[in-house]
Amino acid sequence: DSHTQYERVGADVTMKCGSMDWDAAVIWTVNGTDIDESHLNGSYLILKNVGLSQSGQYACYEGSSWHLKYQTSLKVGMPPKEPVLMCRSNNYPKGFYCSWHLPTPTYIPNIFNISVIHGTKDMVCEKDATPKNRCHIRYLQLFSTVKYKVTLTVTNPLGKNFTTLTFDEFAIVKPDPPESVVAKPVPNNPRRLEVSWQNPSSWPDPESFPLKFFLRYRPLILDQWQHVELSDGTSHTITDAYAGKEYIIQVAAKDNDIGTWSDWSVAVHATPWTEEPKHLTTEAQITETTSASTSSFMAPPTTKICDKGAVVGSGAVAVCWTAGLVVAAYSVLFI
Amino acid sequence: MAAADSPSAALRRDLCSRGIRLAGKMRADVVDLLDAYVEQQGLDASASVAAVEGVPLAAVERWDEQTGTQRLLENLAAYRAFRALLAQMLEEQREQLGEADAGLGRALAAVLLQVSAFAYHLEELLRLESRGIPGNAEEEEEEDGPPPPPRLSLFEQKLRGLGVLRELAQWAVRSVRDLRQLAKPSPATGAASGLAESP
Repeated sequence: DSHTQYERVGADVTMKCGSMDWDAAVIWTVNGTDIDESHLNGSYLILKNVGLSQSGQYACYEGSSWHLKYQTSLKVGMPPKEPVLMCRSNNYPKGFYCSWHLPTPTYIPNIFNISVIHGTKDMVCEKDATPKNRCHIRYLQLFSTVKYKVTLTVTNPLGKNFTTLTFDEFAIVKPDPPESVVAKPVPNNPRRLEVSWQNPSSWPDPESFPLKFFLRYRPLILDQWQHVELSDGTSHTITDAYAGKEYIIQVAAKDNDIGTWSDWSVAVHATPWTEEPKHLTTEAQITETTSASTSSFMAPPTTKICDKGAVVGSGAVAVCWTAGLVVAAYSVLFI
Repeated sequence: MAAADSPSAALRRDLCSRGIRLAGKMRADVVDLLDAYVEQQGLDASASVAAVEGVPLAAVERWDEQTGTQRLLENLAAYRAFRALLAQMLEEQREQLGEADAGLGRALAAVLLQVSAFAYHLEELLRLESRGIPGNAEEEEEEDGPPPPPRLSLFEQKLRGLGVLRELAQWAVRSVRDLRQLAKPSPATGAASGLAESP
């Protein structure tokens, strides 16, 4: 007849060997291993200041006969701290979801219970299969000024805790970030980049509930972002890019009328179009005539001073490092 | 994707676009007015105000299933009610504070004007569909509109004002959504989103 016992970390635990007298001769084991007599007080097992590692199967045997007299599964853990709860509507106007977690683990099983009240009406939050700590609700009413009150209670054998969120329909609207962000150079335009993206797939009706967008971009070498707000359309052309510099670009979305901005989309990188260098060139570019290049020229033999892999920089300012060394050497001479 | 636009469809879309802009501007002004009102009247912005009689609630069930005509009629009824409510609030303002609070009074008057304009815009849309415009109950009654309610205390007046403005702000958002639905080309079956086909 097996038992389970839950104890707090740091507690002192006394285990009795079932109905055996205090002075009976017994042997205790934990996970099959004998426990030293020093932990015994008579036939009681004393565990002081229990830690997580002391969780396990404890068994007590009568000394002479080795009959199993008692066994219990000890689970050391903690009562729950106040849970963290978040509710959000990324699929407005269909509904919203709430998700939660504990700030610190309890190491023992927890049961979560969520209640949603709209005014005087109780609503059912349907638990999602995945992720586990999430449930969703369909809106029964739209445009209500009455607030929603969500209470999450967490219970485990060592205690319970709860948290409450109160909000109105508009406040929790936050779309997912835009998807499929693509940034491309524009041929023959060294200062332009064409960016396009799509509405997040979770947003059910972009026609009736259009999104507006916020674009931010900067060259990798700078810290300051440029921002553009776009009230419609899912594309934009950047016209003030620094020539030849690689850019990082992100887009965020927001319902046109309510709620907050989404997180930033996945970042994309792009470099504006640059003209093919005509004078400074490497041996590699001269020899690779099989590539579909429209311009062909013969570089004078004196330019063959670089190895294939020794090019530093890109675009119009490609200089190979050996040439750079030569130049540096000469500069030192002239200082 | 749509068939060649009939003149009335193009006009409807145009009216809807303008209506959306009107509603958008109205909402922005109502939100500003709300902030000023809360501050001026010494109210708590997060105070819950029980639904007050006579204030049209923006909350609606099955919003996506409404027909175009339903949307227009419900909107029109609401803004007519707000027109009367705001006029009453203006009256109360003048009584309470005389000229002391001209700023709030002016803002209230400006919103009242936009509400009237929007109501008229909705009548235009209804007219476009050869829908009879429901009689304006106020036209037959005294200039104050619905029979004056029992005299509220000053505090009750303030709370009521808060409820009116909050609900109006919700309506402004709803109206934008309603008009967007209306602006969609109606499917051949004349189903929910567009205005019903004429019999």
